[in-house]
Amino acid sequence: MKTIYKLLLPLFSIIILVGCSDDDNMQELTGEGIVKLSFDNAVGSDDLLLGSSGYTNSQNEVLTITRLNYIVSNFTLTNDKGEKFTYPKDDSYFVTSEETGETEISLTNIPAGRYVSVTFGIGVDQEKYLQGAEGQGTFLAKAEATNMMWAWQAGYKFLNFEGTFTSQSVTEPTNFKVHMGSHGSSLDNYKEVTLNLGTEALVSDEMTPIIHLVADANAILDGANKLSLSEQAVIMVSEEKSPKVAANVSGMFTVDHVHNGTGDTH
Amino acid sequence: MKFLYSILMLGVFMSCSNDDEYASFAENEQLAFTVPKNFPEMVYDIESNPPTKFGFELGKKLFYDGKLSSNGFISCGFCHEQRFAFTHHGHQFSHGVNDLSGTRNTPSVANMAFLNEFSWDGATSHLDLFPIIPITNEVEMGETMTGVMTKIQADREYQRAFEAAFEEGGVSTENFLKALSQFMVMMISSNSKYDKYIRGEDGVQFTEKEAYGLDVFNEKCASCHATDLFTDSSFRNNGLPPNPSLNDLGRAEVSGKASDNYKFKVPSLRNVALTAPYMHDGRFGSLESVLNFYTRGMVDSPTLDETLRNGEELGIPLDDEEKEGLLAFLQTLTDDTFINDKRFSEY
Repeated sequence: MKTIYKLLLPLFSIIILVGCSDDDNMQELTGEGIVKLSFDNAVGSDDLLLGSSGYTNSQNEVLTITRLNYIVSNFTLTNDKGEKFTYPKDDSYFVTSEETGETEISLTNIPAGRYVSVTFGIGVDQEKYLQGAEGQGTFLAKAEATNMMWAWQAGYKFLNFEGTFTSQSVTEPTNFKVHMGSHGSSLDNYKEVTLNLGTEALVSDEMTPIIHLVADANAILDGANKLSLSEQAVIMVSEEKSPKVAANVSGMFTVDHVHNGTGDTH
Repeated sequence: MKFLYSILMLGVFMSCSNDDEYASFAENEQLAFTVPKNFPEMVYDIESNPPTKFGFELGKKLFYDGKLSSNGFISCGFCHEQRFAFTHHGHQFSHGVNDLSGTRNTPSVANMAFLNEFSWDGATSHLDLFPIIPITNEVEMGETMTGVMTKIQADREYQRAFEAAFEEGGVSTENFLKALSQFMVMMISSNSKYDKYIRGEDGVQFTEKEAYGLDVFNEKCASCHATDLFTDSSFRNNGLPPNPSLNDLGRAEVSGKASDNYKFKVPSLRNVALTAPYMHDGRFGSLESVLNFYTRGMVDSPTLDETLRNGEELGIPLDDEEKEGLLAFLQTLTDDTFINDKRFSEY
């Protein structure tokens, strides 16, 4: 038995080496494949650990995060020739949730190619919402199960960010809740971002790239717009603050790195 | 004892055979839907969810089923009673599970296919998604959508009804909401005396008082209660003094805009003689009180609707004769065909 392993090991090494040299040869990419997007939630330069020790933001507020869920949607991939592939809209809505560990999504049947950028939305666009029952399909149930249904308005929380905080003026740990979504027909908070991948993501019958995105939770309140929890710890429907949260959230994503290969390894 | 058992078994068999009467999807058929001649264009996208015989029947079954609530007793029809044009008569506020009471007055369900905003504050702008609001509201039906679907998925009769009504998906949230919409889309109130008069049907004539009331209405009320739906679907602050114990901000609760404070959706006036109490908080028990309020009950505030400012005065000036005319006219909006239509009735 042991000898088989001994024989197999060099064999595997050869396969891996061949795989690597293939990349260098600009080989023809054919067929279609899967693109995985992994959302690595972070706080600043640190990994996000729910319920763990607090971190201090630039406004001197110390936050302990207990929930970070958000909806990502409407994925479009652009290849090195500038051609865009838009993922089928009906299948293009996902909840990512730190607490359930659902932070990786798979886009299937992607035409082979060398992809250089990804575009996606945060939340649910009005067009989708106004398709009624037909448009929501099974996504409503998914949203309810992950605390992303905004039931009082029969809509969606695009972002559900919760925890406790202290500050100079709020010395006892106090709950904070930041729920952001569109405000009925009154205010559309859906935003889209386009991110360059840095490395080409190679897709073919055999190649499944994993795009690692970092989502910096600090940016939600401490991004381009500064929002103080000491001033308001529950931000839900605010004409002034929720668009600021939406803008911050759309700025919290960066592409960290891309793995090209079979898609099994991170 | 044996005899009793036989009767019980007979009951079981009978209910089984009832199940078998559920037709298959192949026997389903589309229902005719006609836009009344005097109505504006329909808002609802009927192509994406055309009402069918079995879809409508399923929607009706759901509408009257207490299973949609956490305690099993509060159905949609509990607060939306047909004989009061699908409002909750005698209740200022709707009350729901656990004897909890809401803060708003049940609006009528009629002509929903023609409206683009739902609930007093326009929390949703799609009819399909509206039922989520009362189902999940803890003072109304106090359920979750997942909870409702679990109960319905376990029910054999519902399984069959969903299969018969929808080609795909069976018992799903999507089909659940579609069925409820099909029922509501068919609930059209367009056969009041007013409708027949305006369409010139059956030789219906207005009395002198009713005709005078219509003139007054067109001059003083129709800018908001517009079209033959009697609403322009806008949100307005009509100068109602806020109830300090509730301080319901209305549209601002949805939009987050201070400029929307105390604005509520202009309600349709169809069947208004049947839908007391009035206003979003049901504070007025009679139409007389409503008219008195409009003539001299308003309070000023930064968001008061501009159309209700009348120089230095607030409100809509109405003399007694005009009020009488209006009251007579408003009675003509009662649609007996609608409130007695067996298609919509619980039993």
